[in-house]
Amino acid sequence: MHKKTQQIILLSVLGVVSFSNLTAQQTRQKRDTIKNIDEVVVTALGIKRQDKSLGYVAEKVGSEVFEETQNNNWSQALEGKVAGVKIQTAGAGPLGTSRITIRGEKSMNMNENFALIVVDGIPLGNSTTGTGTPAYGAGSGGDLPIDLGNGLNSINPDDIESVTVLKGASAAALYGSRAANGALMITTKSGKSKKGKVSVTFNSYSSFDTVLKWPDWQYEYGQGTMTKDKNGQFYYSYGASADGVSTGGTSSAFGPKFNGQYYFQYDPTVQGQSLQRQLWRAYENNVKDFWEVGSTYSNSVAIEASNDRTNFRTSLTYLTNEWMMPNTGFNRFNVALSFSHKVTDKLRISTKLTFNRTNSDNLPATGYNNQSISYFMIFQNPNVDLSWYKPIWKSGQQQLDQIHPFSSYIDNPYLIAYEMLNGVDKRNIFGNITADYQFNKNFSLMLRSGVEWLNENRTTKRPWSSANYAKGFYREQYIKNQEYNNDVLLSYKGEVNKFSISASAGGSIRYNEYIMTDYRAEGLKTAGLYQLTNAISLITKVPSPYDKQVNSLYGLVNLAYDNKIFVDITGRNDWSSTLPKANRSFFYPSVSTSFILSDIFNIKSSVFNYWKLRGSWAKVGIDGPPYQLENYYDVSDFPGSVNSPNTYANPNLRPKQNTNIEAGMDFGLMKSRINLNFTLYQNYTVDEIFPVTTLWETGYAYRVINGGKIRNRGAEISLDASPFKTKHFSWKVGANWSFNENQIMTLPEEFNGKPFTMSNVGGVVFFNAVVGGSLGDIYGYKLLRNDNGQVVYRSNGLPDRPADVEKVGNAFPKWRAGLQNDFRIKNFTVSFSFDGQYGGVAYSQSHHKMSEQGKLRNTLWGRDNPNGMVVGEGVVKNADGSYSPNTKQVAVSAYYDDYYRRANVETNTFSTDFIKLRDVRIAYSFSKKLIQPLGLEDFTVAVFGKNLWMWTKFPLFDPEVATLDNATITPGVEMGQLPSAKTIGFQFNVKF
Amino acid sequence: MKKIIFYISIVSSAVAVHSCSRDFEEINTNTSKLTNPSVGSLLVPIQYEMATYGYQRANDFSFDIMQVALDFPSEGNTYSRYYLTEGSGSGYWNSSYKWLKQVKNLQIAADKEQNRNYQAIAKVLNAWLTANLTDAFGDVPYSEALSMEKEIMTPKFDKQKDIYTQILNDLKDANQLFDTTKTLSESDIFYNANTDVAGIVKWKKFGNSLSLRLLTRILKRNGEINVNARIQEIVNNPTVYPIFESNADGAGLDISGVAPFLPPIPRPQDFTSYRAAGDFFVQTLVDNNDPRLSKFFTQAKDLSNQDLGYKGAPSGYALGTVFNYTPSNLNQNLAKAPLRILVMTYSELQFILAELSFKGIIAGNTENYYKKGVSSIIEQWGNTVPADYFNNPKVAYNNTLERIMLQKYVSLFFVDHQQWYEQRRTGLPILPNNGGLLNDGKMPQRFMYPSLPRVMNPQNYQQAVQSMGGDDINTLMWWNKP
Repeated sequence: MHKKTQQIILLSVLGVVSFSNLTAQQTRQKRDTIKNIDEVVVTALGIKRQDKSLGYVAEKVGSEVFEETQNNNWSQALEGKVAGVKIQTAGAGPLGTSRITIRGEKSMNMNENFALIVVDGIPLGNSTTGTGTPAYGAGSGGDLPIDLGNGLNSINPDDIESVTVLKGASAAALYGSRAANGALMITTKSGKSKKGKVSVTFNSYSSFDTVLKWPDWQYEYGQGTMTKDKNGQFYYSYGASADGVSTGGTSSAFGPKFNGQYYFQYDPTVQGQSLQRQLWRAYENNVKDFWEVGSTYSNSVAIEASNDRTNFRTSLTYLTNEWMMPNTGFNRFNVALSFSHKVTDKLRISTKLTFNRTNSDNLPATGYNNQSISYFMIFQNPNVDLSWYKPIWKSGQQQLDQIHPFSSYIDNPYLIAYEMLNGVDKRNIFGNITADYQFNKNFSLMLRSGVEWLNENRTTKRPWSSANYAKGFYREQYIKNQEYNNDVLLSYKGEVNKFSISASAGGSIRYNEYIMTDYRAEGLKTAGLYQLTNAISLITKVPSPYDKQVNSLYGLVNLAYDNKIFVDITGRNDWSSTLPKANRSFFYPSVSTSFILSDIFNIKSSVFNYWKLRGSWAKVGIDGPPYQLENYYDVSDFPGSVNSPNTYANPNLRPKQNTNIEAGMDFGLMKSRINLNFTLYQNYTVDEIFPVTTLWETGYAYRVINGGKIRNRGAEISLDASPFKTKHFSWKVGANWSFNENQIMTLPEEFNGKPFTMSNVGGVVFFNAVVGGSLGDIYGYKLLRNDNGQVVYRSNGLPDRPADVEKVGNAFPKWRAGLQNDFRIKNFTVSFSFDGQYGGVAYSQSHHKMSEQGKLRNTLWGRDNPNGMVVGEGVVKNADGSYSPNTKQVAVSAYYDDYYRRANVETNTFSTDFIKLRDVRIAYSFSKKLIQPLGLEDFTVAVFGKNLWMWTKFPLFDPEVATLDNATITPGVEMGQLPSAKTIGFQFNVKF
Repeated sequence: MKKIIFYISIVSSAVAVHSCSRDFEEINTNTSKLTNPSVGSLLVPIQYEMATYGYQRANDFSFDIMQVALDFPSEGNTYSRYYLTEGSGSGYWNSSYKWLKQVKNLQIAADKEQNRNYQAIAKVLNAWLTANLTDAFGDVPYSEALSMEKEIMTPKFDKQKDIYTQILNDLKDANQLFDTTKTLSESDIFYNANTDVAGIVKWKKFGNSLSLRLLTRILKRNGEINVNARIQEIVNNPTVYPIFESNADGAGLDISGVAPFLPPIPRPQDFTSYRAAGDFFVQTLVDNNDPRLSKFFTQAKDLSNQDLGYKGAPSGYALGTVFNYTPSNLNQNLAKAPLRILVMTYSELQFILAELSFKGIIAGNTENYYKKGVSSIIEQWGNTVPADYFNNPKVAYNNTLERIMLQKYVSLFFVDHQQWYEQRRTGLPILPNNGGLLNDGKMPQRFMYPSLPRVMNPQNYQQAVQSMGGDDINTLMWWNKP
């Protein structure tokens, strides 16, 4: 369970030093004791507050959540566990880059909805650099998006002490703009051990992944486009033969049925047409066999020691992953250091430092274009054996010409895995140094300086004969990102009669400097030599920056009356470099309050022991990205030339504003054996800054404006209870449910209340904003229906087209829920958790293409009809306006081609509702009697599983789908998704 | 106390080191881009991008619609079967406006610097791109287009007649503006007019030859505009209005294959895979005995892989047709560097003059123009014209417009949409219906307006539809109404 008790968190920020002798065994025990209402949480700026005094929700997740299951990306451990929090990954490979949203999407710009991640009081930059290419790139040549990770990935789950989720703007009013969408405050472990003793912990995980779900492929008909031979029969021929012209060049599977015929086919022994006719048969594992069992091994050792003046901890973790796609995976090495020392009775200096190196020789590309294994999986045909591709190169043509016998559009999958390498080497340091000085019992001063340095080198290798790069390609990309956060805080604490007051005033400077350089070798002179000096033509891009600075001043006042009524008031003013001078400074306040009604009304019941009422109001101003104020010409690939700007800048940008109100109640029942929390919230975002799609005929594709008003309203309920608790057995259950409703209240004045397109994916899925509609509404062309709901057909036998796009659904679910259970039976603990969502939909590009080509079982209907002709179920419109049944026959291939055409968003969009068995764990801790003689404090072994079972109607790999479009994780669209995994693993943990 | 000061100063210096010295304006300036480029830096991308785009349009669309090539084998919905959707023209629409914007920026920069040559070039490029755009759709936004700076987000659609009037006047002005004593200040990949003033003269010739192309296109509307008078003005005054005099004067782009001069089709195999050459086009060249046959096509083969000579597949063949031979395909070398992309050729001009003299609008010997048209395009492609070429009754001039337009169709191979525009204008050459054409076998007359303007500019869109008389592929546009 996720709430610890009787523990005061050690913070490196304010000099409250206290630690407890915790071992894993005690941790376990702790989990099933009652919640202590004096629990302390970490809030903005790392200020520690008692949970009871907060007027807003600050939900805490303890380290066991991160320690119990191995996750490549720590944020995955939070899935389903905290009401209102959504971890969305792009489903693009092992690194699992995610975007975390809290309480719904508030911005029309997909990239501005993330919660802020704060580590030990320092906000993390979390920049993601894309490859510069969109997810729908087929036919345009060029590269693909690759999930190379972002700042979040480098946090080591083994080093996390706790994560406090601050959900609304109120909770984050002191962090400024970036926390408008909420914040996750991560506290890393500092040293805790028995006084004077050095404690060593060793933790080891091994886990294995297999693909969770496969699409519903058909293996009844093979490659072809319904071509007939001279006898009028459907046939197949690889290359022209006595049977007829070649039908082996198509990617469609509308060929003959597998009925024991013999045709001329591809023969791998001659790498060409078979000499004799061969049996026409299906290879039912010709995609599944490509995927392997992935493995991840992680080992960490941590050493900690503490006494009453000093705490020290260091840890080393090494993780190595081989992902389910052959020749992909990554290694991650983390070193963490935490040191805190009381120099004098009044002064404490602390520092925390983390060094991380993540590197990989190859991570998979994703998206709908060559070089993506997803593209291969779509185009694979049922009569093609995967093993035909294994030699990769044609005989005698190593590194020169690949085997792709059917179409040069489709790169050989083993070429993709072993030769088209996407490498990354990322080194990241983040840390801070803090000085806390306690002048006297009332006044204290904190000075803190935090820094994040990222150095990332990427390489992209493409061999000769790649579909998009006949003579190969090589790119080196260098990214350097530095962020500095310096802050100072002066605090006062005092008491008068029953009033206690604390007040703080402070300021901060945040400065961010980013630069990316990119060198490309277009064409390699010598095949297989990936060096810029081997370029046929070398293109260097001018280094591109992304710099920003924000200066801030803020103040906070907390008033408490008799420890029963609490009021907080905050105010903050920011000055941002990305806004024009006239609008650069903006101010935002917040007020929150909390009433401990059980104390005020003096409730002394053993059944109902705690009742808190809380409420808050907050406003946050948010600046925009840099360089939006002027129209820039891009430097062209032609030396000395420029390209005109595509985006029309706005020199009068204003900051956007977010106003948040929330109210809730917390109940403790049965001596807090049952805890219930309810929250209602409402949030308005106005004056959004975003690039809006414009018509090319105006001269620009986008322009930047302020405008619009969006409202999010919702509710969160969470429950945790310990129904059973005895010496040898306990059961704890937690449940959470959250609901969010998003509505677009107004649109920018320019549109006079008419709809407009925020973005589109692949030119067919439109994210249209309509007054009264919601963010994430997906629009596209549907089937045309008459008033009776029947599908209307044209005289050519194919479905008719409506004149306009219509709403197909919404990308975001209406509600989400999670359920966790923990059982302890003597020395065993068994836990499992479910979570699910309801109400969202997603468009599947892969489904469109595979259906168009007859690869899925939904295209089997009608194929056995004479001549493969079908009559679409529907009506045709008569001249007088009435309808008669459709009777026109069309070829099955033409029917599915049109019915599932790319622009038909209705037939290719599916519900993303799901329930997943997210985590399962069975652990055994050896009793103290057994291990103490060995000098051990704790020895636990465990078996765990993740995503073991899923219920969903979504036809592709995983309904938790999003597309990685350059660097934007766009939900609601699947465009070349990679499979997701179900995992089983083992862990053992030893503490000396 | 000392210790305290010591520790505090460590932390403070750490803070000080990180404070930056740049002011906010400086931080918010993107040093990898420009805000005020010189006029010459705008030209080359327009030339490369729209010339290569024209090549791709010929490959993706004109080949199919004009029976030059087809997807093969295919029973599906393709351009070669006259299957067009609402999206068929959207790429053309967007790319045209994108580069028309850069042309407008070129014109603004030229006006600012009072540079006559760049002003004239901007007018010529604008006329070239705008004419191609309106010939594809009919009425399109023009006078209110490209005016985001004036806050016009939903431009009205101008009538095709008004657009043509405007651009013809522009071309006339351009002719006067060119200053043949000065070279351009920066690169020019059509005529190298930055190194040699002879290039400026060629630009002038291009502008006037383009005028003749446009005037010929709107021949039926002589009266609404003084088409014939303008034609005569140009043709009868070669010193004032020079036009192309040889292949070397033609407008086009040489692609060397060295980045950034890369061929428009990134994967040459896309050019030929799943494709066949069109029977009508191949047969025409076979009938001509055209020396370029092996340059353009591969040989057809029978089922035992023996060469059958040059024979294409009939475009839009009836569904269920069985083939007992593998048809000729396009030669993949046409997609590989080095290659020359054609924008407007001397040959096309000769065919224009042939037609104009045939119709009595200008003086001159039609047969001579015709022969020069036929020969010069063969030479443009690097081949020699056999001495007895015109003895062939299929090639000889026979006093018919059909013969002129058929050979013009051959000449316009790989020149963006020109084959299609000319077929729609004259109905020639008559293309066969091999049994599998949709749209009742009628040649599509335009692209439908794309979906974005329909959704985002609905009022003006509706007005344009009213004015055009419909928004489908069979609606006739102004220059083509009977």
